Amino acid sequence: MPLEDFRPMMDRCSNCLNCKWIPFDKVKSMRFGENCPSVCYYNFNTYSARGRFRLGQIILDEDAEYSDEVTKVVHSCMTCGACDVACKVCRYNLEPLDHNIALKADAVKKGKILPEQQVMIQALKDEKTMIPGAVKANRGDWAKGLGLKDSFKEKAEVTFFPGCKYSYDKKLQGVARSAVELLLDAGVDVGTLGEAETCCAGRAHQMGFINEFDERADANIKAFKIAGVKTIVTPCSDCYHTFKRLYAMRGLDIEVLHIVEYIDRLISEGKIKFTKSVPMTVTYHDPCHLGRQGEQYIPWEGKEKKILNQIHTWDPKRPRYNGAYGIYDAPRNILNAIPGIKLVEMERIRENSWCCGAGGGCSETYPEFSAWTAGERITEANSTGAEALVTACPWCESNFANAVDENGKKIQVFDIIELVRRAL
Amino acid sequence: MTLVKEEIYQEFEDVVGKRNISRDAAILESYRVIPAQSSDHRGPYLQKTPVPQMVILPETTEEVQAIVRLCNKYGIQFKASTTFWSVAGYIGGDYAVQLDMRRMKKFEIDSKNMIAVIEPYVIAGALQAETMKVGLTINIPGVGCSSSVVASTSGWVGFGPTSISMGCASENLLGAEWVLPNGEILRTGSLGAGSGWFCGEGPGPSTRGILRGKQGTAGSFGICTRMSIRLHPWPGPTFIPTRGLVPAYKADLPDNFKAYTLCFPTWDAYADAVNRLHQNDILYLGHRQFTMFGRDIKTAMIMILNDPDKQLADIPALCEDPYLKEQNEKMKIDIQVIIAGTTKRDTEYKEKALNKILEMTGGWKSELMMDKDLTDYVLLYLIRLGHKNLNFVMCGGYEGNFGLSPNVFVSASVMEEASALKKKWEDETNAIAAVGGDSDMGSICIMGGGGSTGWEFFTHFDSHETASVKGTADFFNATQEWMSEKGLGVDMGKWNQSARRPDGYFYTQEEQDEMFSKLPQPLVTAYQYKVREAFNPNDLCGSYYRTLSAKKLEQIP
Repeated sequence: MPLEDFRPMMDRCSNCLNCKWIPFDKVKSMRFGENCPSVCYYNFNTYSARGRFRLGQIILDEDAEYSDEVTKVVHSCMTCGACDVACKVCRYNLEPLDHNIALKADAVKKGKILPEQQVMIQALKDEKTMIPGAVKANRGDWAKGLGLKDSFKEKAEVTFFPGCKYSYDKKLQGVARSAVELLLDAGVDVGTLGEAETCCAGRAHQMGFINEFDERADANIKAFKIAGVKTIVTPCSDCYHTFKRLYAMRGLDIEVLHIVEYIDRLISEGKIKFTKSVPMTVTYHDPCHLGRQGEQYIPWEGKEKKILNQIHTWDPKRPRYNGAYGIYDAPRNILNAIPGIKLVEMERIRENSWCCGAGGGCSETYPEFSAWTAGERITEANSTGAEALVTACPWCESNFANAVDENGKKIQVFDIIELVRRAL
Repeated sequence: MTLVKEEIYQEFEDVVGKRNISRDAAILESYRVIPAQSSDHRGPYLQKTPVPQMVILPETTEEVQAIVRLCNKYGIQFKASTTFWSVAGYIGGDYAVQLDMRRMKKFEIDSKNMIAVIEPYVIAGALQAETMKVGLTINIPGVGCSSSVVASTSGWVGFGPTSISMGCASENLLGAEWVLPNGEILRTGSLGAGSGWFCGEGPGPSTRGILRGKQGTAGSFGICTRMSIRLHPWPGPTFIPTRGLVPAYKADLPDNFKAYTLCFPTWDAYADAVNRLHQNDILYLGHRQFTMFGRDIKTAMIMILNDPDKQLADIPALCEDPYLKEQNEKMKIDIQVIIAGTTKRDTEYKEKALNKILEMTGGWKSELMMDKDLTDYVLLYLIRLGHKNLNFVMCGGYEGNFGLSPNVFVSASVMEEASALKKKWEDETNAIAAVGGDSDMGSICIMGGGGSTGWEFFTHFDSHETASVKGTADFFNATQEWMSEKGLGVDMGKWNQSARRPDGYFYTQEEQDEMFSKLPQPLVTAYQYKVREAFNPNDLCGSYYRTLSAKKLEQIP
């Protein structure tokens, strides 16, 4: 949706600043009550979702131009969507996250992009990945020796899609292998897209590069169709959201599951049985794109309709994405099923989780800000007394791995798959 | 427009560092507000407030003081805001600096003496959560828990649902550290005598009446950088346990907390009951909350807010539901109350007394609202007051009108007439949402222990549609006319009409003189002029503090 279509929302944003805090019903402290990394780090109100709505008005009205500072404001949104959840506690007619992305898209359209973004987008075009320096020829290295089916050549019950981060990051490749191994051990018929697998481009969408995203999405959807993919399982939360929501908007109609959903299912069916204890107190970080943005896409076409003179509704009723039905229980079910693990919760969890700092491409474009954001989460994790921070997204894991809390203290970081493997 | 010179800007930058100051055109523009998008209590306008010369984010009182001194040195107006919710916190002149106080967010809680010392960006919801950890809580004013405690305590009226048991802002303010408009720091109450934060009236200077009074001066006397407020007992757990899906969270509180919707057959019975509730000191909280959506759609909205799958498009169908219709009718004249017993016996006594009041006044408890989920929703909603921005849920724009009443018998006696006036506008124009006339929301008490009542009709309009905004302004003209005829004073939608011009600028002294010389008691504003001269000699903080110049006073026959 182009920026100008957001004008009614810009005008109806009530300046309440709910977007800067987790829903107030859930606030347990001043320290961990805020939700927006961008405004917390840069402090100017302009960096909040409210500020961005106002910025949208300013751009449309040509009251100011894209200066370097404004470009920074626009691109420093991690698109984590925490503002979106908080806003929608009291509002049914605003979409702050969609607007933040539209603002980025407007900047991109006008050439207001960052050098680091150019590098990532060039990598997407040339090597079909958004990890600069990675080459397409090495994409399948992570799976060498596993003997996985190529879904284009042999039918498989499940197509495993590791995504760029698990494919190329040497520290994470083992996690992807573990994921596949535990699926195979549970008797799952697993294949991959082999050499045809390319980046989902979800991060291009998060950065406002909509044309580049559309191009890659359409190519991938076509590839899925040719391969006859019925169920796709991914351990990457970014890929998960991209397929489940963004590709679905473009017509993808297959079952999309995150690995935690699939493992949870296998545990409940008795196909995964834990035999070892993992004595550890852990806390779980909900990835933004698995949690609050992990809701199922529901097709809708309609228009605004006012009732009772001035009350805004949609005809027909429009689906509402507010984080209520994200994927929160599956990872917790898994952790609670592993013998020896004690799960302790942070204050900001589930739909109100604090971002890891990697969203919106910020780990590449604003590394200092990104590291600070991760550090805030480590501080929160350490405040629980947990020995380890567990997550279900390679971007989160990677961003947390090098981060320290406000006292310079680290915490062990695990992908949930690693703990599952330990307990088998 | 005169622009601040580079060397002057540099002096400001030296105070806070480059990272905490900006004059980027778009950043400055983002610190303007369109009043129709917020509640301004002066009639909805579409004209934005002026563009500041710079936005600056101080971190300490010393930095605030240095900024204010620079403003005095160069004759630059200034205005501080924390959450930027209120239009009062935005600048009102072309040569002005906007302070954003969000970097000042430290707090200390002294549980033994039941006080909290806070900086401006500590919001009420977070402070309440912190105080609950030690068995205490705060009065959260009607502006909601997203508001800055310092701003609402220093700058505005500050009453809310819990005022019946905890008083309002002026009653809870203890010591304060105040950067006066001339850059001096005034420490009030016991703090001023070096005796700590425990008392607002001394030992030490007691200037509360001047600096905030009852209504508050909306920042016209400089910048409050720290203050202490009174805390109150919290007979609950160390945090509010919750359950449920967003946005329909519910509280899991112990049995000593009871939430009821009390309903009455007539407004006379309602007034009688509220008066008895004032006298009997049994409530933790009392508020008329859910009629804010409108008498006709109240139960439909309660159902929508309690179901993550429902939305505003469901209003018509829910309004046709026979059970909800019946319940809606029974809840026509209602209030929400919460009892919080400190012991089992205390809870039982309060419940018994409440039942007796209902018996004496012919009232009843709403059957619908006795549902466990709804009860727990109401407990969370009203104790945390975290859904304040449902004010805007229906149309994007809201403003309150009618207003306050010296006592409940006055407001109750005119409630139906006021409702009929609003309903007429709903039916005959398209500008405001048609929700059944009565959309009154308000505390049953705006001072500790009982007394005056809030009486605010929520008027919902579309801030995106010019015709709706203008039509709403016309409606407020009509309600003001009616208020004047009834001798009920200034309509809430116009309370700040004389504080800021329709174009978003502050009034000049000449304009104020013209307005206030016509007041029935011009001496009040003339006195305020003298106060302002003493505390704010360069007149740098705006016209929310109404003044009549000595020169003009002399000309009044």
